[in-house]
Amino acid sequence: MLFNSIAFLLFFPIVCVLYFCIPANHTRLRNLMLLIASYYFYMNWEPAYALLLLTSTIVTYLAALGIDRYDDVKKKKACLVSSIVLNLAILFLFKYYNFLGSNIETLLQACGADISVPEFGLLLPVGISFYTFQALGYSIDVYRGTTKVEHDFATYALFVSFFPQLVAGPIERSNNLLPQFKTKHTLDYDTVMSGARLMVWGFFMKLVMADRCGLFVDIIFNNVEHHNGGSFLVASLLFPFQIYGDFAGYSLIAIGVARILGFRLMDNFNRPYFACSVGEFWHRWHISLSPWFTDYVYIPLGGNRVSRVRNYFNLFTTFAVSGIWHGANWTFVFWGMIHGALLCVEKALGIGKKKFTGFSKFVHWLLTFIMVCFAWILFRANNLSDAITIITGIFTNMGMPASEYATYMSVAMALSVLLFKEMKDEFGWNIHISESRYWLVRHLYLIIMTAYILLFGVLDGGQFIYFQF
Amino acid sequence: MKKLLLSILFFIGGLFVVDRLGGMVMQWINVNTHDVLGPKFKYIHDEIHEDVVMLGASRCHHHYVSSIISDSLGMSVYNCGLQGSENIYSHYVTLNLILERHTPKVVCLELMPSDFDVNEDSFAKLCYFAPYFGYSERADSVFQLGGLYWKYKISHLYRYNAKATSNIAGLIVSRQKGDDHGYIPAKESSISVGEIVEAPDITDIDEQKIHYLHLFAKLCRENGIRLVFTVSPKYIAVGPSFYDVLRNVAHEENVPFLDYHTSGLFQDRPDLFRDDKHLVDKGARLYSSVFAHDLKKALRVGERNN
Repeated sequence: MLFNSIAFLLFFPIVCVLYFCIPANHTRLRNLMLLIASYYFYMNWEPAYALLLLTSTIVTYLAALGIDRYDDVKKKKACLVSSIVLNLAILFLFKYYNFLGSNIETLLQACGADISVPEFGLLLPVGISFYTFQALGYSIDVYRGTTKVEHDFATYALFVSFFPQLVAGPIERSNNLLPQFKTKHTLDYDTVMSGARLMVWGFFMKLVMADRCGLFVDIIFNNVEHHNGGSFLVASLLFPFQIYGDFAGYSLIAIGVARILGFRLMDNFNRPYFACSVGEFWHRWHISLSPWFTDYVYIPLGGNRVSRVRNYFNLFTTFAVSGIWHGANWTFVFWGMIHGALLCVEKALGIGKKKFTGFSKFVHWLLTFIMVCFAWILFRANNLSDAITIITGIFTNMGMPASEYATYMSVAMALSVLLFKEMKDEFGWNIHISESRYWLVRHLYLIIMTAYILLFGVLDGGQFIYFQF
Repeated sequence: MKKLLLSILFFIGGLFVVDRLGGMVMQWINVNTHDVLGPKFKYIHDEIHEDVVMLGASRCHHHYVSSIISDSLGMSVYNCGLQGSENIYSHYVTLNLILERHTPKVVCLELMPSDFDVNEDSFAKLCYFAPYFGYSERADSVFQLGGLYWKYKISHLYRYNAKATSNIAGLIVSRQKGDDHGYIPAKESSISVGEIVEAPDITDIDEQKIHYLHLFAKLCRENGIRLVFTVSPKYIAVGPSFYDVLRNVAHEENVPFLDYHTSGLFQDRPDLFRDDKHLVDKGARLYSSVFAHDLKKALRVGERNN
């Protein structure tokens, strides 16, 4: 079920009413209700894939119980390894098998062997990377002793499948979300209003900004042979806002939905395009993913407590893995590697630790923005060949961009609203609209933003980009 | 709880008021815009009086030069081709909007594969017609079929969603350059059409669309309108049976079918095409002369048979 669907507009109020009708001290009953709702939410895509979600849940639940039960380190490790292997095997089978197969096939054909690797013809289950990582994170945390084992299966299953963040995050840590399933949540006016504000702003980012940008970006990136450098440049400048609106929009709706129910999910974005270095960008973009890779990939590789060269290798590898996590395509791997390489350069130059001011800050911001936009080309391109066509086209085949003036106008309007909000928050301007102390202003904000979405949003239920990851 | 209910009620009530007021503003903009579609819709709805109307999508919009056809037939002609009117559902809505105030003598319907093939988004482009929701019962039944009826019934603002920005932009910049009774020449393209490609026959036929083609023909018959099916040239090669589905409907409904695509008209003249589906102005003028001549003949034959 998509957040931007009529089905969700009916589903969510029903869930809220049912949830708050159950007395607050019956937390287990409430959790059970949320668990059923979450599985219903997920099964709207493909009911059979709920079995994968359930499998991942059972495997990590049992592994954590085993880790907790045994005192022998070897046995603990065996439990953890079996959990990791089983989860990653499922992820590999559904997400990476065909990619690996086709690459092996190409390699063999290049060597003169005409062997074909059979394809696995199943669709990628929505959000598999997200819930697998969340469940794996729990197993590792229990093994490390940084979180307590959860004995109640229903509560743990809800932690893995909690519908607001199930398919595209934020990837929650067990020590933040699990305890919240055991506390009493009451219907609180301020919490509901703050959740509603987040949801409305999330819908604006997704439906008005991301999807309007997407109308142009998709035409260009999906038909590179028909367009010139001007169109490539505009599409490459719009895609960063499309993906930001799409993903940050989803996260905000998820956080808003959870907040209305009384849960606090972690923030996932913090105005990433104001970053003055790539390192800072990753502290502002997909905030829930970066610590995951830091804790479970970068640090196990040795982190920064190793030689300088090894540290660069660790950093580069972590980002390459992050790239492949996003999708089974070389474009994602190269995208991750570009970010890894840029971070290594920044580390070597000591840029990450510097605080910039004035003109220097502007120059660093601009350079960072250009580099991030450049890397996004690889992320969005359908394949490496298209990415090369786009990049070379920008420098060698400049011309007038496609005259989609209505799209430009929609995007300009949406970007103006976004920029105002982001600058207000970034620079701490003393202007309060959505959080005004006046009841009328706060409500008018919600009404006008909803009307704006109705008029300018793309409301035909388009998918969120990060669902594919 | 009381505070929350008050907030919810205020939000719903406020949104209703803003939606209705916004809908009125957007309606005014829709009527006064000089965008591509707005003035044409307005003409179709409020002013159309011509004897011959051409119906279809962008290929109709860019291919039939009204003045050339009018000179040849000695009848007034208006090109109602609408960009985005991509299949028979949209054409059916347009015909019903016309019939609300005027009954033309002849309707020429420019058809495409999307008028009979199976397509997931068959109703997607109906949103362009949303500002005219509520004007014709038969047209509204198509919105119902496409699952859009309640969305348009509930929100007036949403009716203008598909064209909001271009309508607003059309208040500032006119996109009616070269208008000849609804015909607007296609923009020249810097990229020339490449090698001609061959399209395979369409085997997945949408029976509901075929039903609506019959309904369209029936509606014309009931109103004493002479209907002609046409397919203008394309720079895509097709086999002789490509349009057999349309040919059968035309035969069953006793409607002339002028097919210039299968016959390969202009396929030796890539300079007349902007892309593989659209003619440039020069091509449209040449084609309109050929078409007008054949249409005259078809109408004469029809008269003799009657």
